[in-house]
Amino acid sequence: MAEGQRVGEVIEASTTDFVAQCYELYQSPPLGSLVKTRDEPVELYGIVYNATTASLEPGRRPIARGKDEASEEAIYRASPQLLKLLRSEFSALVVGHRQDDKWYHYLPPKPARIHGFVYLCPPEEVKEFSQSFGFLNILINTHLPVSTDELIAACLRQMSRVYEDRHTFLVVAGKELAILLSGQFNQLKAILERIKQ
Amino acid sequence: MSLDLTKIVSQVGGMVARLKAGSEERRNRLQQALTVLHNQAGELESLTRKIASSKTTWLVAGLVDGLDRRYEAPPLPAEFTILATDGSHIDVDRHKSTRCYLINIGAVNLHYGAQPSASLDSFPCLYSSDEDLVVTPAGVRGREQPVEGVLLGIKRSVEECHRLAELAAELPLGSSSLALIDGSLILWSLEAFPEFVAEALLDKGFLNYLDDIRKLNNGRRLALASYISFPRSTDVVNALRVALCPHEIVDTDRYCNACETRECDEVAGVRDRELFLNLLAEGERTALFISPSKIQKRYGRHRVYFFYLRVDDEIARVEVPQWVATDKELLNLVHSLVLDQCRRGLGYPVALSEAHEQAVVTASDREQFWQLVESSLVEENLPSLTSAKSQSKRTRWV
Repeated sequence: MAEGQRVGEVIEASTTDFVAQCYELYQSPPLGSLVKTRDEPVELYGIVYNATTASLEPGRRPIARGKDEASEEAIYRASPQLLKLLRSEFSALVVGHRQDDKWYHYLPPKPARIHGFVYLCPPEEVKEFSQSFGFLNILINTHLPVSTDELIAACLRQMSRVYEDRHTFLVVAGKELAILLSGQFNQLKAILERIKQ
Repeated sequence: MSLDLTKIVSQVGGMVARLKAGSEERRNRLQQALTVLHNQAGELESLTRKIASSKTTWLVAGLVDGLDRRYEAPPLPAEFTILATDGSHIDVDRHKSTRCYLINIGAVNLHYGAQPSASLDSFPCLYSSDEDLVVTPAGVRGREQPVEGVLLGIKRSVEECHRLAELAAELPLGSSSLALIDGSLILWSLEAFPEFVAEALLDKGFLNYLDDIRKLNNGRRLALASYISFPRSTDVVNALRVALCPHEIVDTDRYCNACETRECDEVAGVRDRELFLNLLAEGERTALFISPSKIQKRYGRHRVYFFYLRVDDEIARVEVPQWVATDKELLNLVHSLVLDQCRRGLGYPVALSEAHEQAVVTASDREQFWQLVESSLVEENLPSLTSAKSQSKRTRWV
């Protein structure tokens, strides 16, 4: 399996999610993308549900600097240290793991390792992972700072991009959601509206 | 129990009232100082002679190119680099069983131009060997000076300069750069220590590294300066006091106690920064002056000169070694780049403020450092005794 693009490093981890710091400022993977990290022999898979860019030190907030600058880029040119004093982070919800080439769409036995590299999964891996929609259950039953509807829709949109026939993938996913959310019509409607092409 | 502020309120009120009452007199003295400054500017030669022959208990600035001259900031080069270091330390704690200290040097390299870049780093170093903990005179035992308190502060300044020289050595040929230090270039507190301490820390340390930086001017333009924000010095005002003294040869020990006219009191209490705030326009610098400190005799080609610089409503003191002061190009580089750094940093050089951020050791860092030391001692079954006083501060009880 291809390694994928290395996008960050785990700096905080729990059973249900992990936070990774990006190597480059503002280079966090898109909302809903599938990422992975490794704790041999287990590979943990997560869906990106939040991203932030803030000061490296909690006590030092950025201040407005551009009043006399012609462009936003000029602000960074005039203060090159800014790139070293800010950092971008993203959080991923753990939605499954893989061990000995077998996929498990439920939580792994242990959380991710701190300083574990985080990779953006390449298309063929996203395809393999999304052969089963078991992970949707975890997404539906979680409480996150972003709305679950937004996250599920973003995740399905991202996954559909690796399929030639995006429509069919989204229809199958929609049917799965209809079963899982049979009693919550409004939520189902909100998600479907966000994934229709 | 924390400080009882209610008991202080009336005392603060009294202090403010006293300051208010004296404000008019201070204004008059400042006005008088400005008048003397302008008058004496025409008598430079005689004033320079009078200063040279004077014996004073206070520091009097040596004159170089005038008294009330003002210089506009030269234009910035298209590409330039600012290097800066700053340090902080954890002092030896006599209540701990282990004698050691830590110096953390923050180092910053900011490059401006077509390809701006920045590197911010810190270099913590633990000192615990016998030769680190004391300064020993060559060949003689028994008079060694422990490196702690004031002496550790001096050692830290030496390490800041050391790191700055290492950073500067990496500068590419053909570059224009400024190496910046926070505070004074004059390690005047060494005057209180025996000769061999100044030899070890100043001659073989600080001045040695300044010389390394000077030599890098081969093929590149590299200036060095130190920056003192809101300076309290009165060196230039003291030169005016010498001018006002009616005696041909000023000798404070001989004449001052018996002096009844006290002409020099007309400008007493005025600081250099107040004087020049009324003289300089935004971005301008004063003439150069020579710092008169006694320790300067050791500085040789690094003899410290200084000028005052106006940035917004603040006057800063910028000190430079002789080899910068006497090279017009390097001196202009210091003027324009320090001013530019202040403007980018909301009034204070941005490189120094970032170097400080890299170096700073907080109270909780200190606590964690000592915990690390103690737990490492325990792991190796070494005794980790602390004094009862230290314990009582840590475990507070009623």
